[in-house]
Amino acid sequence: MPKKILRVLYTLLSLGIPGLGQAALGDVRRGIYIFLGAFILAGLSVFTAAQRARFPEQVYGLSAAALLRLGLASLVIFLVVRWVYTMLTRRLAQDEFTQRIAEGLFVALVVVLFSLVGPSLIQRLLPEEALKQLYTTLLLGMAVVLAWLWWWNARDAWNLAGQQETNWNGFIALVMVGTVILGTRIVGIDLPKAIREYRETGRILGDILWPWRAAFDYKATELRATAKIQAPCPPGSTPPPVNEPTEEGPWVVVEPTCGELSTRDEKGKLTYGTLLHIRGGGFVPGKKVKIKWENPIGNEFTPRGLGPTEIRVGPDGTFTSELYIPDVVIPTFAKGPQIHKLHVVQPGALKFTGKLSREMKLALQAMLESIMIGLMATFAGMLFAVPLSFLAARNLMFTLRTSPQGLVGGVLGLAAGGWVGWQASQRVALWLGGLEKAPVAVAFFGFLLVGGGALLGFRLLGWALDRLSQHLPGWANAAIRYGGFALIGAAMGWPLGLGYAHGILGIVWDPEEVAAAAGDIARIGAGLGALAWGYLAYRWGNSGFVPIGQWVYTVTRLILNVVRSIEPLIWGLVGVIWVGLGPFAGFIALTIHTIAALGKLYSEAIESIHPGPIEAIQSTGANRLQTIMFAVLPQVLPHFTAFSLYRWDINVRMSTVIGLVGGGGIGFLLIQWIRQVQYEHAGLAVWLIAITVSTLDFISASVRKRLV
Amino acid sequence: MLRVEHLTKVYENGTVALRDVSFTVEEGEFLVIIGLSGSGKSTLLRCINRLIEPTEGRIIWNDIDITALDEAGLRRVRREIGFVFQEFNLVERLPVILNVLAGRLGYVNPWWSVLYYFPKGEHQRALAALETVGLADKAHNRASDLSGGQKQRVGIARAIIQEPKLLLADEPVASLDPVLAHSIMGYLERLNQEKGVTILCSLHYLDLVQRYATRVIGLREGRIVYEGTREDIRRMTDEEFKQIYGEEAQRLGG
Repeated sequence: MPKKILRVLYTLLSLGIPGLGQAALGDVRRGIYIFLGAFILAGLSVFTAAQRARFPEQVYGLSAAALLRLGLASLVIFLVVRWVYTMLTRRLAQDEFTQRIAEGLFVALVVVLFSLVGPSLIQRLLPEEALKQLYTTLLLGMAVVLAWLWWWNARDAWNLAGQQETNWNGFIALVMVGTVILGTRIVGIDLPKAIREYRETGRILGDILWPWRAAFDYKATELRATAKIQAPCPPGSTPPPVNEPTEEGPWVVVEPTCGELSTRDEKGKLTYGTLLHIRGGGFVPGKKVKIKWENPIGNEFTPRGLGPTEIRVGPDGTFTSELYIPDVVIPTFAKGPQIHKLHVVQPGALKFTGKLSREMKLALQAMLESIMIGLMATFAGMLFAVPLSFLAARNLMFTLRTSPQGLVGGVLGLAAGGWVGWQASQRVALWLGGLEKAPVAVAFFGFLLVGGGALLGFRLLGWALDRLSQHLPGWANAAIRYGGFALIGAAMGWPLGLGYAHGILGIVWDPEEVAAAAGDIARIGAGLGALAWGYLAYRWGNSGFVPIGQWVYTVTRLILNVVRSIEPLIWGLVGVIWVGLGPFAGFIALTIHTIAALGKLYSEAIESIHPGPIEAIQSTGANRLQTIMFAVLPQVLPHFTAFSLYRWDINVRMSTVIGLVGGGGIGFLLIQWIRQVQYEHAGLAVWLIAITVSTLDFISASVRKRLV
Repeated sequence: MLRVEHLTKVYENGTVALRDVSFTVEEGEFLVIIGLSGSGKSTLLRCINRLIEPTEGRIIWNDIDITALDEAGLRRVRREIGFVFQEFNLVERLPVILNVLAGRLGYVNPWWSVLYYFPKGEHQRALAALETVGLADKAHNRASDLSGGQKQRVGIARAIIQEPKLLLADEPVASLDPVLAHSIMGYLERLNQEKGVTILCSLHYLDLVQRYATRVIGLREGRIVYEGTREDIRRMTDEEFKQIYGEEAQRLGG
């Protein structure tokens, strides 16, 4: 029977390498899926197991071998069990339903058996040192899954060779179970630990959940009486006078007022000093008083093991007690008689003063700071995002085209105008007194002159060359095109070449070689750039249009997307490096992120407007700016407002955490209090954040609903 | 006089909207373009003021080659060509008066106008234009508060205030009911007869064509397949009708 032999052969192929049999049978895709599934799961198991070891590279081989052994053992066990199972169910079950039930029960039985026998089985199968390094539970689970996968794969090959369908569900379920087991291990999910240690969290969580006690100041209303005692008591010294009972308020009388300290030897054995007799009165009847000792340098403590320290006051407000003078360590330079104090303290209720605590005031102040950071960042972001969003709107930019000659003129004008602007700004800066003296004015005029010059040059020369090209013969236009494009390409290639020479690709050169070769490499770069742009010039021809708007759109979008994908917390680090710790850094971080996020949202709002009004306004002879003001802006304004509000909402939320990296606001206080283990104060901050954010969320949501 | 010579428009997706269209419109004519949806009527009208860039051919208006103009020149020509749209294309969130004043954007100081400031004279002109279309009392309502017919009248006022020599109307009544249609077409007719504005209008209903057109051209799949006067429309044979509207089309009434 050669057919049967072939079937066995394919199955063996799959047993050797999962999926090979299927692939050989012609179903390459199925084979690849199975192989990848098994390979990735097995690889991850080995990797995860080995990661626990100190020297992973030593363990890879070991754990792989161990895993293989385990897998084979599991397979054998599984086959035997499976055989028993089929024998059993065939006898037992008649209809499908009973069979399903039996199947389920059997699986449960196997799982229970495995978890009971498994660990000892592993000890038999694995060498001692490997066992130490492997996470046994994981390995056990994974071994079962992998063995099962192997078996499924072999059976699949067997079925496929016999032209029968196997259900994919088994494979998918196995891969998922394996992934969950591995994920549990990699994430470090440890349920027993979570259950064991929840109580500790409860205490802290309580502080955070209800921190309002810390929001106010309280006055302690305690009754306190003090007696002075001298120790030691050398003859001839004058001890402090004995107190007299008073009519008003608490009093305490201690006798004698002079005595010897208790002492403790090296082994910790205590020798009692003088016994003090204590009488007191004028306290609240029926409640306890506490005895406290204050040493000569002013430290108060409760003496232990020298007499009662908590005494119940009698119905007439008096009490009596006794106490040995405690063992107070006196430094050698302070030998001689010292005055100690004995306090009798009766704590009363805390009295609510109605004043906010210092921490609450701080938190409120910081919260205000956070809201302001969010607000200012939103304003500043809007300012920059509005013009940018017009550059990133597909429908506005894609109509912007120019002739190749116009592009050449524009780029030349851009460079020339920028250069003239730069020169002018240098003069202006000198006249203003330099960057140090008038930073804002210098920067402002610098941007204005360079940007304005570049823009003006771009418009003027672009327009001039575009007009000129209509009156020039074809060969002259071609000359402008090729020459100009080559120049642009060279200008772009030059810095790339130079950068390559200086190792922007991570190639480290000998500095001397760089100095010698940089010029050549830059020239090569320029040449390559010129060639590339020369090809563009060839492709577009004289009459072709350069989609310059599309370029601007693509570049703007790219920048916005990159900036947006970097979280504000990371921009916060940049801000802190730039302007130092504080709310200004947070403001910078949020502004940068807001520009990118709002720029994208705004531009999408612009893209979704009706094109009709644009056509209508254009056909009245309006220019580009008029068209934007009349046809675009009225349509997008409600959306802009809604997005800005939404962003303010986000910014306030972000500003509460920007302080974590030093960006000011309430986050700064929060992280400080958490690190000082002042959970009650941290709770105050958390509550303030929650209240503010949810209020703002509600307000902005209801306003937005009315807008759009 | 408007001369369209060998006009061809191929869209970027390869659709050929106009194929070698040539015709002439004399000063003061009321030319109606008929044809099925997608026959190229809208494209033709939009090519004339270059809302859509023609692929080939020339459009010459009073000896100016519109297709060769640069942006500034195009704006100067556009301000003398009114355009009335099927969907009115008002700026819904702006008041009616600003929608009408927008018609003067090509004439006024552009820097002032972007701040929505127009000189007093322009305001009076706009109110007069609104008076003409009977909407003077709605001047300060938001455009979105108006009904369809009112919106189209504002659209016409916006065109009137341009003091156009040529008016392009792209199915100006297709979104309105028949009674309103006659009132709107009446405004166009008055512009044509009283101020001598040349009108190019695309229309759906043949009864409207017979009532208002001085001359008719028929477009089918981007080609001119019919040319005739108002009387020719009345005498139009079934064969001619099918030439414009296709074999499956049925003639109803008129």
